[in-house]
Amino acid sequence: MSTRFRLGAIGLAALALLAASCTSGGTGTALKSDARPAAAAPVRQGGSIVIGAEQEPDCTDWIASCATSIWGTWIMDIPTIPRVFEPRKVDGTWGLAATNVMASEPEVAAGPPQKVTYRINPAAVWSDGEPITSEDFAYTALAIRDGKDVLNRTGYSHVTKIDTPDPKTAVFTFDASYANWKGLFSDSSGLLPSHLLKGKDRSALMKDGYTWSGGPWKIESWTKGVSVVLVPNANYWGDKPKLDKVTFQFTADTAAAFQAFKTGQLDALYPTPQLDSIDQIKSGLPNASSIIDPESGNLEAIWFNNAKAPFDSVTFRQAVSHAIDRKAVVTRLYGALGVNEPAQSAHTPLVGRYGGTDFAQYIPDLAKVDSLMRGDGWAKGSDGIWAKAGNRATFSVSTMTGNKRRELTEQILQEQMRAAGFEVKIDNTSATDLFASKLPKGDFQMGLWTLVDTFPQPSLEASFSSSAVPTEDNGYSGLNMSRIDLPGLDKVLDTAASSLDEARRVDVSRQADKLLADSAALLPLDVIPNILLWNNKIGGPLAIDPARGPFWNLAQWGLAS
Amino acid sequence: MFAYLARRLLYSVPVVLIASFLLFWAVRIAFDPLAKLRGGRDPGALARAAERLGLDQSIPVQYWHWLTRFVTGDWGVSSRTAGPVHGLILPALGTTLQLIVWGVLVAAVIALAVGVYSAVRQYSAGDLAFTGLSYLGVAMPPFWLGLILIQILAAWPQELLGLTDPPLYFVGLHSPDGGGPLDYARHLVLPVLTLTVGLVASWSRFTRATMLDALTSEYVRTARAKGVPKRRIVTRHALRTALGPFVSVTAVDAGLLFGGLVVTEQIFAIQGMGRLFLDSLLAGDVFVLVPWTLVIAVVVIVFNLLADLAYAVLDPRVRLR
Repeated sequence: MSTRFRLGAIGLAALALLAASCTSGGTGTALKSDARPAAAAPVRQGGSIVIGAEQEPDCTDWIASCATSIWGTWIMDIPTIPRVFEPRKVDGTWGLAATNVMASEPEVAAGPPQKVTYRINPAAVWSDGEPITSEDFAYTALAIRDGKDVLNRTGYSHVTKIDTPDPKTAVFTFDASYANWKGLFSDSSGLLPSHLLKGKDRSALMKDGYTWSGGPWKIESWTKGVSVVLVPNANYWGDKPKLDKVTFQFTADTAAAFQAFKTGQLDALYPTPQLDSIDQIKSGLPNASSIIDPESGNLEAIWFNNAKAPFDSVTFRQAVSHAIDRKAVVTRLYGALGVNEPAQSAHTPLVGRYGGTDFAQYIPDLAKVDSLMRGDGWAKGSDGIWAKAGNRATFSVSTMTGNKRRELTEQILQEQMRAAGFEVKIDNTSATDLFASKLPKGDFQMGLWTLVDTFPQPSLEASFSSSAVPTEDNGYSGLNMSRIDLPGLDKVLDTAASSLDEARRVDVSRQADKLLADSAALLPLDVIPNILLWNNKIGGPLAIDPARGPFWNLAQWGLAS
Repeated sequence: MFAYLARRLLYSVPVVLIASFLLFWAVRIAFDPLAKLRGGRDPGALARAAERLGLDQSIPVQYWHWLTRFVTGDWGVSSRTAGPVHGLILPALGTTLQLIVWGVLVAAVIALAVGVYSAVRQYSAGDLAFTGLSYLGVAMPPFWLGLILIQILAAWPQELLGLTDPPLYFVGLHSPDGGGPLDYARHLVLPVLTLTVGLVASWSRFTRATMLDALTSEYVRTARAKGVPKRRIVTRHALRTALGPFVSVTAVDAGLLFGGLVVTEQIFAIQGMGRLFLDSLLAGDVFVLVPWTLVIAVVVIVFNLLADLAYAVLDPRVRLR
């Protein structure tokens, strides 16, 4: 489950992706990667580069509620905070592998009670030379489990006991079977240095940047509103960075950022794939290279409000799903990038092996629409719109105002559905209103937003279980904005969340995908590709990691020799 | 004058207080400071954050607490950054002040020159050309103008001259490695120009109108009849009369500009008051939005006051009581 919210990276609005922040599983069969091979130009030691960053993080206290920006994760968290597991692609599938913080792969005993033993690499040290120890594991887990103002306690709340038999061994005991245990110290939070933070005000010490590090880079400076500067961590025990300095310059305006890239003020960009950025890339950028990777963790979907008419009817949802030509939509939006196939799973490609292709059953078929609608008692009026008992098949679609890509998508959908006998009205609003008010309160009929995975582990339950429906009773908390509550789905999701057996987990995750697809609880539209652009003066193995962003291997970047 | 100043400042207090309460109330109704936490998987986080930020109390109580802290220098904590609000607003104010000062200076010089020329040579080809350009300047949206200026003044010269760097920079107010006055100037030109075009357009039209009034006034006619040289009439008589209202308008506009730099600061990646407002608005950060608005209100009041004082200094007929 993803726990880091991608704010602004997909659509501008800060809250846009809040609601879209997690999912699980996925098919990976919907799209073939069109990504170019990663660049691997030989590099020399030394030099500096400037990278454009679309968004500035609010704070760097990574476990606090202010640290929701995915850009913060990419540019400061990942380069400086040690983690236990890291995503790794093996044989075309994203999985997890232990990092060099570990002396060996953590051992899990199914129990009950479930226990996980972490053995720490003797060479692993913080930037001040102090070793990374089991105390750091204990401190981090307790800070998250018991601390105040913590963004996400997922997984840590299952920890009942922490043993530290020696400085390099930590044993965690859980109260129940917890399948996503690899997310601990790896997904939303890595390890924090207990010798620097224990007994102190962590937030005060971390939120505006910190000088220590357990990764290849240190934060040299963070000038609010201007830039973040990273320099190598001299005490890093792994491969040290090639560059002397990397500056992330905050440049929110896409058009200006492209100009700055073209004129050499910025050496690399990771732009949001909006229409204008796609046009810019298509028209060519001088002296530059790019990666366009559709195998991202971003799934854009059409979300139906399953608890509100007319989408409380399975038949109606299925009919609408057959009225939409998703391939045409995807081709219009991303055809220029070589992305033409719609997504066929509720899972993003990042967790693709956990999903199926069950949504492929929804192809444009007006005869099927007629059949389903007539079977449900609807009849077309003289204006060509379906009607039943005096009610016309009229409904609204909502997304955030100002997102041109989504507004275009709405217009295409409006046209397609009009031809099938559905009248669609566009009812857009600000991101704040949409994601903080309308969606949690179920004040919408059909919506368009993105589900984001930032960790290659499935957790459909966060987005689709009935317990995740936001209600007044739970303070409108929960990501199941679509109010999906299908017979048998919760049980399948629970099994997926607690099953330590990988094959079983894949099987039940795919069952969930099928349940969602058969009832047209939602309609996946497209996987939003990731784009990385860089000046040809930069060399090294550049590649996008859909979980850790494009800067995951920044230490290997350098000036081309 | 001192009594006038004191009275004006005293009148401003209830205005600011009422405005601040209305703003606080409106912003609290319109925005949810906990929006980012909604949708999370820890419902308890909502309650804890609400308690920490005092959001579990009524709006008047929240306002009172906020106000009493505000006047003692504690401007609160941003719900977005978890940092002190003054730490966000004051640097942003300083940054925006740089843009405003340079923009107003440049715009004032150009607008005065253009306005005087247009008035003196009314209906000449130059006057008509400036009139057309001023309409264009007023009509050009800053987001478009900024990008056009980048293209014309930075991208094309670099391309045509084969330069490794553009002659003018347009990301931030200085290079990542710092840089001296020249680097600062290269960063400042484009945002200041973007800001200036609209000001020049409107101020030059204003100057033209006031100069025309002055040039047709009785005392100028008398001076002409006495044989005072034309240049002296324009610079010593008409311009001095026109300068009063011009400075007044300039001061008022400069105050208003503080809140209106969202687009320019966004394009040029400058963390000033405009961008701070946008960032806070998108995050529903009421703890920044309210003091931000209050600071802008104070700035506008101060600049209005300065405008009145300047008017009185420049025009001996005006006396402040």
